[in-house]
Amino acid sequence: MSENNHEHMHEHSESELSAELAAKKAARPQIERNNTHWLTLEHYNNDPEFMKKAETEFQSSPLRESESEGGWARREFLKLMGASLAMSAAGCIRRPVQKIVPYNKQPEEVTLGVANYYASTYFDGNEGLGVLVKTREGRPIKIEGNPKFPMNKGGLSVRAQSSILSLYDPERLQGPKHNIFNEKRSNKDTVSIKWDGLDDKVVAQLKKGGAVVLTGNVASPSTRAVISDFAQAFKADHVSWEPLANEEIREGQRASYGEAVVPQYRFDKAKMIVSIDADFLGTWLNPTTFGAQFAAGRRDPKKLSKLVSFDSTYSLTGGNADIRVKIKPSQQLDVVMGLINVLVVNKNLSAYANNEKFKDSLVSYANTAQKLGIEPALFTKVATDLWENKGQSLVVAGGLQTLTSRSAELQIAVNFLNSLLENEGKTVDGKNGNPGLKASYAELEKLIKEMNAGKVKTLIIHRVNPMYALPKEAGFAEALKKVDMVVYTGDRIDETGEHATYLAPDNHPLETWGDAEFAKDIFAIQQPAIRPLYDTRSFQLSLMTWAYLANVGPKRLITFETFYDYLRNFWKEEIQPKAAKGKAFEDFWAEVLQNGYVGDLDHSTAARSFKSEAFAAIKPASNRSGFELALYPTVQHGDGSSANNSWQQELPDPVTKIVWDNYVCVSIATAEKYHLKQSTVVELKVGDKKVELPVHIQPGLHDDVLAVAVGYGRTRAGRVADGVGQNMFEFASFAGGPVFAGQEASFTKTTKKYNLASVAGNNSMEGRMIVAEATLKDYMKNEHAGVHRHKTWSIWSGHQYNGHKWGMSVDLNTCTGCSACMTACQSENNISVVGKTYVLQGREMHWMRVDRYYVGNPADALAVFQPVMCQHCDNAPCETVCPVLATVHSDEGLNEMVYNRCVGTRYCANNCPYKVRRFNWFNYAKLIEKPMHMALNPDVTVRPRGVMEKCSFCVQRIKEAKNKAKLEDRKLKDGDVKTACQIACPTQAIIFGDLNDPESQVAKIFKDEPRSYALLEEWHAAPSVRYLSKIRNNDKETPAAEKGGH
Amino acid sequence: MIHRNKLVLGDKDLKDITEDICAPIEAYPSKGWLGLLTGALSILIFYVIILGIVIGKGIGLLGVNHPNAWGTMIVTFVFWIGIGHAGTLISAILFLFRQKWRTSVARTAEAMTVFAVMTAGLFPLLHTGRPWLDYWLFPYPNQRGPLWVNFRSPLLWDVFAVSTYATVSMVFWYVGLIPDFATIKDRAKNKIRRTVYGALSLGWRGTAKNWSHYEMLYLLLAGLSTPLVLSVHTIVSFDFAVSSLPGWHTTIFPPYFVAGAIFSGFAMVVTLMTLVRIGVPEFKNYITIDHMEVMNKIIMSTGLMVGYAYGSEFFIAWYSGNPYEKYVFFVSRAFGPYAWSYWTMITCNVLIPQVFWFKKARRSIPIMFVVSIFVNIGMWFERFVITITSLHRDFLPANWGNYAWSFYDGAILFGSFGMFLTLFLLYLRFFPAISIAEIKPVLPVGRESKGGTNG
Repeated sequence: MSENNHEHMHEHSESELSAELAAKKAARPQIERNNTHWLTLEHYNNDPEFMKKAETEFQSSPLRESESEGGWARREFLKLMGASLAMSAAGCIRRPVQKIVPYNKQPEEVTLGVANYYASTYFDGNEGLGVLVKTREGRPIKIEGNPKFPMNKGGLSVRAQSSILSLYDPERLQGPKHNIFNEKRSNKDTVSIKWDGLDDKVVAQLKKGGAVVLTGNVASPSTRAVISDFAQAFKADHVSWEPLANEEIREGQRASYGEAVVPQYRFDKAKMIVSIDADFLGTWLNPTTFGAQFAAGRRDPKKLSKLVSFDSTYSLTGGNADIRVKIKPSQQLDVVMGLINVLVVNKNLSAYANNEKFKDSLVSYANTAQKLGIEPALFTKVATDLWENKGQSLVVAGGLQTLTSRSAELQIAVNFLNSLLENEGKTVDGKNGNPGLKASYAELEKLIKEMNAGKVKTLIIHRVNPMYALPKEAGFAEALKKVDMVVYTGDRIDETGEHATYLAPDNHPLETWGDAEFAKDIFAIQQPAIRPLYDTRSFQLSLMTWAYLANVGPKRLITFETFYDYLRNFWKEEIQPKAAKGKAFEDFWAEVLQNGYVGDLDHSTAARSFKSEAFAAIKPASNRSGFELALYPTVQHGDGSSANNSWQQELPDPVTKIVWDNYVCVSIATAEKYHLKQSTVVELKVGDKKVELPVHIQPGLHDDVLAVAVGYGRTRAGRVADGVGQNMFEFASFAGGPVFAGQEASFTKTTKKYNLASVAGNNSMEGRMIVAEATLKDYMKNEHAGVHRHKTWSIWSGHQYNGHKWGMSVDLNTCTGCSACMTACQSENNISVVGKTYVLQGREMHWMRVDRYYVGNPADALAVFQPVMCQHCDNAPCETVCPVLATVHSDEGLNEMVYNRCVGTRYCANNCPYKVRRFNWFNYAKLIEKPMHMALNPDVTVRPRGVMEKCSFCVQRIKEAKNKAKLEDRKLKDGDVKTACQIACPTQAIIFGDLNDPESQVAKIFKDEPRSYALLEEWHAAPSVRYLSKIRNNDKETPAAEKGGH
Repeated sequence: MIHRNKLVLGDKDLKDITEDICAPIEAYPSKGWLGLLTGALSILIFYVIILGIVIGKGIGLLGVNHPNAWGTMIVTFVFWIGIGHAGTLISAILFLFRQKWRTSVARTAEAMTVFAVMTAGLFPLLHTGRPWLDYWLFPYPNQRGPLWVNFRSPLLWDVFAVSTYATVSMVFWYVGLIPDFATIKDRAKNKIRRTVYGALSLGWRGTAKNWSHYEMLYLLLAGLSTPLVLSVHTIVSFDFAVSSLPGWHTTIFPPYFVAGAIFSGFAMVVTLMTLVRIGVPEFKNYITIDHMEVMNKIIMSTGLMVGYAYGSEFFIAWYSGNPYEKYVFFVSRAFGPYAWSYWTMITCNVLIPQVFWFKKARRSIPIMFVVSIFVNIGMWFERFVITITSLHRDFLPANWGNYAWSFYDGAILFGSFGMFLTLFLLYLRFFPAISIAEIKPVLPVGRESKGGTNG
């Protein structure tokens, strides 16, 4: 210490210490001075006055101002660093200068200003993703996909990216708590306690026996080991339950093939995909991975796969379908059985064609096409397409939307059809699914019974929120009161937390070690990217500590001091032998940490044989009329567990484009029939359950469907999510297996009105060529099909770009509209969230948006998606009209926004034909609450009030890549610069690069790709973004008269 | 020989004129005036508070949003700038054309110009996101590089146009006031009055040399102001016409805007003159019904020009074959969510002024007052139609969105009248509302024998 100090002796602060500071100073260790090296005589003589000054020489250092008993100093510094960044940009008022110091001792891996990436994993209960955590100066600022990871391959979901914000959620629990209950356990009286106290109480209770650990799906093999060790130690039970459980799939697999597994689906190997309400591109299982796989079949239109979606809600998968058929939930089984009927009975295909008894069992499904209200020829074509692509087709059904009272039959029928089509073992891989997907409503039901019977003395609840996600009729609340001690590891006092005796907050996944197995034998690692922000403790360590204190259980459980040691030991003992391929453990471990995973998705799997007796469980078709409820999870919130996240809340639903609410989707005809308008409030009734919800008129919805999203209506999630929408989990029926869809429902119109905030200005393209679209048949005749070319010319020769010229292409054929790019952009570029009120007023700030248009007949509307960001026009209309030159053209073709110079006339926004510019109507940056500012990207300015902002083509990333290339003394090469949206895109629909480099991917697309076109080409703003037309594989041909358009 | 009515009624002699015109300045303010001033001042104070809140919190308090980045402030700016035009037209162009009937209305019309430009001038400055940096809009020597302004931006042209217009109008108005200030000074009965008006009259002695210089300067300023009548609104129209937005990007805008400005300006002059006639009954002899009729004729003819422009826009939209422009006119404006504003505009600006085909209507004070109010409303809506209905539905339908009206939109429009009226009322009290020096030469003194004309 003393060795370093004299080097910094340049300034002496004259400011006086406040009494408080003085007290703190006294508490600090005395700094000893070594006067072998001296600057002044006073120094040499140890002059007391000088020493006093010298002590406070780093007056401006945040270290001086840090609170508490140490351990906080560095974070405090980082906070201040973030804060000063925010402040220096926050408007006209000159604030006092706050000085910061860099690392006194710099960690080896950290270079100031250069980001470090750590491989890790993300798991939300269903979806598992390999991620890279981007950290700057020791704080995670962004989550990106791990490009090497064999499943998501670099793409990332909305929620995985938003989870960075949850790390910095100011409402997280900051330490363990104890809830002092009254006798009826009806009060909420929490006090902070110490971990020691909590541990003593919990251990004493655990020793009484009757412990149960209730968790969600556990994808981490080492955590599974800890839980099973713990269960062994205390003779405890482990129950898995998730709101979005995949029980129906497992049960269907068990009935059909004898194994209760969730298979690995291979959409990349499927040329013909039929989805019956399985929203595999949006919310079902691994949508990011599935999206990447699906895109593999969409990238080359000449080898286009076909997606047929039978959709009871308007799911993202339905929105991407080549052929979308609206159904109601009760028709799901009809669809599958109808397809089987067409193949076996009508077309006499497969070995069953001679089985008369089998054919007889299909009689009731003979008229499925009529029942669905579609052309029998179309339905037959779907079936024969499946047959023609035998072994390369895939039929999927699953998710909340399929949890009708006949979901078990549906799964068996789907399995039968896949076996019939020889997809089993090819596109359906029963052996290599995620072994962690064990969540079960049936087990939970059993647990509730045991709780009621008083058999459960201690209940440890981890990563699930049953008090929110279970309907009241499940009786969980009453059962919980019969449990002596409830320990909850949630990160806040939420709906379940307020009923827990002890809150033992788990670390955020970014703060803790872990591992994962998202597909069999793909082992991934979860590395902490920051030390726990608060006094929290990982769930695994809690279990280990309790076992250690009770001194029970297997040796490995009580030997290790940290979960990290346990994990390493587990990997050494369990995973290394399987996956290391003979490498020494340390090498293997280092490699895993670096890559983030080990293993591969491709395995050869033998087909399992279908147990034909299972088919007998399928009963004849039934006919239903009247409204049916369809509950569905959304892309942005999933099961709603992470709803207290403003990025998620403000992300427009990919299909409806509504933010901050849930609502009843009704069809256009239903709305007309009952005189409902958008935002009319109706009272929705299912049995004796009632709720008031606003109406959203959804084109392309079945007339008998009332669809509502789950994941809303949180009451104790925090300030962001509380009171947003209504909790529709309440409408699931619980007894005898969960039912989320197909229940008889009714509604009554009220006189109330509730405004829904939609970011979609208009649902139709009004006949303009905005999303160019053609059918596959059109495309095969003419590769330019659907694109109306304009002859444009200019009297001006244009800008000269002698170095780089940046450009971007967006493939509308692979873009699924999942909106991951929007969240990526928000995270990368510090984009403000404005809230519902301001979205209603049209003030959302997203630099990148995904426009959704409906095409075709409104009652059967198909959807198209188009990401729109600043088009960086060569003839940029915004540049000429700015009176103060705040938006200018760079010599690399970027349209640059100079925030400092912007006065805010907003003329640029008016003159932008794409309307991509966003204005800071208020001082949004001021609303960034501590510690959320730690999520800000220090490379991007936080914009003050009154300035325009917009997509910069991630200019900070361009700069970073250029600097890197310069340091390495080489030229930039294609792929060095990747924009945030491009990285996040699960389908790699976005390509960015240098148009002046003829070898770059984007330059080739601009030059050679016949599908490419510029948005509003005829307006001749000459954008640097080109879109590739969407090709729909629907066996149709566009009549000559309808071609073209503007 | 055409028989002309007298420009000044009531057989006034030169002394009467001075007495009449100086009376409101020299008498103790009437209760009516005090009442009006209290009202206007209250609105002005309200306006200042509202503007303070908007500057303090952010322009987002108004209904401006995405895609309607301009709203009430710009609409009202164009409205007030337009109002100003009639004043300059009357005082400068009609002066050059030796239209003697202008003399009795010129002063007040010119005052209206100055106050309207002052009211208008605030808007482009305050509607920016960071009004405290507005000085960046001016090309002044600086140490930022030096960083210059963007001379390609119509907004910059607008800065020049409006500031030039404001300066020239004020100087022109002030120069016209000098001999009258001297008259008031000469008549002053106390020292303060004499000092203040003496200073204002810049030492005017009324000598032949004074008059000779004065006449020349006045003529020159009239010559300078004349092109401004055309240029200011032409340039304001460039704010729209030079952009590439369908509904804005039209070559007809400059003449259309100038005609609209004169139209609205005359309507405002008529509104104010009817009020002045009521407030100071003696002025009826100077601002005669003939004056009003002439102005009504101008209102009707410029109204027809504006109507022609409306029609022509539709024709060009159809003729151009531009689908976006066609959509703006044939769908958005006429039948879109803001169709009500479009049809309000058509009714107020094209249909209602047609009553002036009838002489009775032209010469009826109540009718012309009502019509002038309608024209004022219609012309505000014209700017609203141009600004909002073009912005709210442009190229990409996903961007479409309506203006998010708020309390502040109404408050700012309302408050701006407080500013205008306060200034106008103070003017009526402290400045001679009719040019004493100019009205005297148009008296039919010595020409009665020639049929009583004074032409």
